[in-house]
Formats: sequence, structure tokens, C-alpha cells
Amino acid sequence: MNKELEHSFVELLQKHQNIVHKVCRLYTNNADAHNDLFQEITIQLWRAYPKFRGDSKFSTWMYRVGLNTAITLYRKSKRRINTQEFDAVEFKIKAEEYDDTEEQQLKLLYKAVHQLNDIEKALVFLYLEDKSYREISATLGISEVNARVKMNRVKKKLKTILNP
Amino acid sequence: MDELDLLKKDWNSENPEFKSYSDSDIYPMLYKKSFSIVKTLFYISIAELIFWLLASILPYFLSSTFKEKLETSYENPLFLGVNIFSYLVIFMFIYLLYKSYKTISSTDSAKKLMESILKTRKVIKYYVVFNLTIIFLSIPLSFYFEYNENLEFHKQIVEFSTNQMLVLYAFVVLVAGVFLILLWLFYRLIYGVLLKRLNKNYEELKKLEV
Repeated sequence: MNKELEHSFVELLQKHQNIVHKVCRLYTNNADAHNDLFQEITIQLWRAYPKFRGDSKFSTWMYRVGLNTAITLYRKSKRRINTQEFDAVEFKIKAEEYDDTEEQQLKLLYKAVHQLNDIEKALVFLYLEDKSYREISATLGISEVNARVKMNRVKKKLKTILNP
Repeated sequence: MDELDLLKKDWNSENPEFKSYSDSDIYPMLYKKSFSIVKTLFYISIAELIFWLLASILPYFLSSTFKEKLETSYENPLFLGVNIFSYLVIFMFIYLLYKSYKTISSTDSAKKLMESILKTRKVIKYYVVFNLTIIFLSIPLSFYFEYNENLEFHKQIVEFSTNQMLVLYAFVVLVAGVFLILLWLFYRLIYGVLLKRLNKNYEELKKLEV
């Protein structure tokens, strides 16, 4: 690969790295796993970069590769991003823990989102990133109607997790 | 206010807890080892090809009696045919594998990406099934060759009673069966572990389309 390409890629990634961090935040539950996934997404982005034509925004393109890596490509290595273990612990959120203060509420919300499955997390991620249902459906490969239906179900599921 | 909207407010605020990587942090990352499922699948398929090729070639070079035997067997058109056919199949699989690896792209939609990976896995699976079938067929086939070519063996078999023959057949089939089942379980285990999460997520996406 030529140096110029490498340079432009690193510059773009550096600028938009928050997107990758956000994906890692949803799909991992500790700093080591976060860094491992960040590393893998970077490799996948770099590999796909020569084909990046610039006809889509770099950030939009990153959502796709980032989510695909987290959901499908990444083989959890030595450190696992095992949501199963996480769930077992986090399922103990009790109703009385539900504090009105916003910070507490946010903490519980993040915990609740961590309990969703990989696909549901992807929907939440794209929703939080303010993506249209058209973009969500194109990123996941499902129809727009189904993306909408599923999103509503995810919202309901989150409510149930928070208010068991 | 919707729960997710509350989350959204926080989500889009700057997140100071993330370590911000500098250019010099990112450069070395580009050349680190990847832990991609596709890479593992690729290595498995290469290992499969090499293993089955070696399994068919090595005995020829290692044992001179086998070499002699094989050379006389090649005079038999059936044996020669099976061999040529199996090499043609190997080349076809190499081509199919190459083609299906080319279709795997991280920039496709999640569903399409999963489908291309599962398709590649299917190609490898068919290759394995092909090899197992060849093994299964080669056991009675080699029996038949021995019977025709090896006089001593021929004499022994001719002296067998019907019951002894039945036991012999049953034994051969049993050994072949156990061998195949063990190999099959081994493959199921490898791919089961490797593709468990992918299968689960793919099912989840497919469920949405119903």
C-alpha cells in the first residue's frame, strides 16, 4: 500500500475515531475488549479502504464496516466480548435501583442496552447516531418496515428490562 | 421522555472516557494481526486442501510397495477414472472457494455479509462431504481390487463361508462408519464453535423478514 493512502486513511480515522469507540462501547464490557475490538475494526477499515470511493461519506462507510466487524467478522480472541457473562450479572437490576436522577438513569440505560442481542444493539446504535430508517435498513440488510417494527420492539424490551 | 432519547442526549455529547488515539497510535494498528472469522475460515480451507492432497500423495512417496501397487492399479480404468475425477473436483473446489472468498466484503449490509460467509462455509462443507464419500467408497473398492489382484487374499476369501463373509462385510462397514462419524463430529465441532455467533445473528436477522 502506498504511503499517501495510508496517510489519508489514518488522518480520516483519527478524526472520526469516536464512531469506532461508540461501536466498541456497545459491544464490549471492559477496557481490554474495547481496545481489541477497536484494533480489529481499524484493520477491517484499512483493508476495505482502497475500495472506498468517496461516493459515500467516510463516516457512513465506517458505520457499516464497524458494525459488520462487531457483529460478524470479529472472532473473539483471547479476551472475549462475551455478553452472556455480562448479562447474568446485569440482570439483577432491581426496580428500586431506578433512581430519578438523570445520571443514575443513564447508567441503568447503558446496562440495559448491554443486555440486548447483537442485532438489537446495532439498531440502537444506528438510532442513537440519528440514522434514518432507510439507512438502518440498508446497513443491516432488512426492509425499512421491519427495521421500524424491530426498533419499536427494542424500545419495549428496554422498558421491560428497566421496569421488570 | 423516551428512554432512548435520554440516552441519545448523552450519546452525542463528547465522551471523555474514550482514549483518543493519535496518528502515531493508529499507524501500527494497521499492520497488527487480525482476528477475523473470515481469516480463520480461509486457513481452515487451505488446511483442508493440503490435508486431503497430502493424504492422497504421501503414501505414494513413502512406501515403495504401495507405489508399486498403485502403479498396477492405475492400469485399471475404474481406478484411474476415480483418481482423475477427484483431482478435477479438487480444482473445482479451489476455484469455487476463491470465488466465494472474493464475494465477502465488509462493506456489504450485515445480512449480505453473513450470507457470503455462510456460503463459503458451505463450499468447504461440500468439499469435506466429497472427501468423506470418497473414503467411504474407497474402502469396499480397495477390497475389490485386493480380491482381484492379490492371489493369496483371493484364496482366503474364496475359502470363507457365507457367515464369515457376512461378518467381514459387517466389520468393514462398521469401521468405515465409525471413522466417518468421528470425522464428521470433528468438523461439526470446529465450525460449530467458529460460526455459533454468526449463525445466531443471522437467524435473528432472518426472523425479522418473516
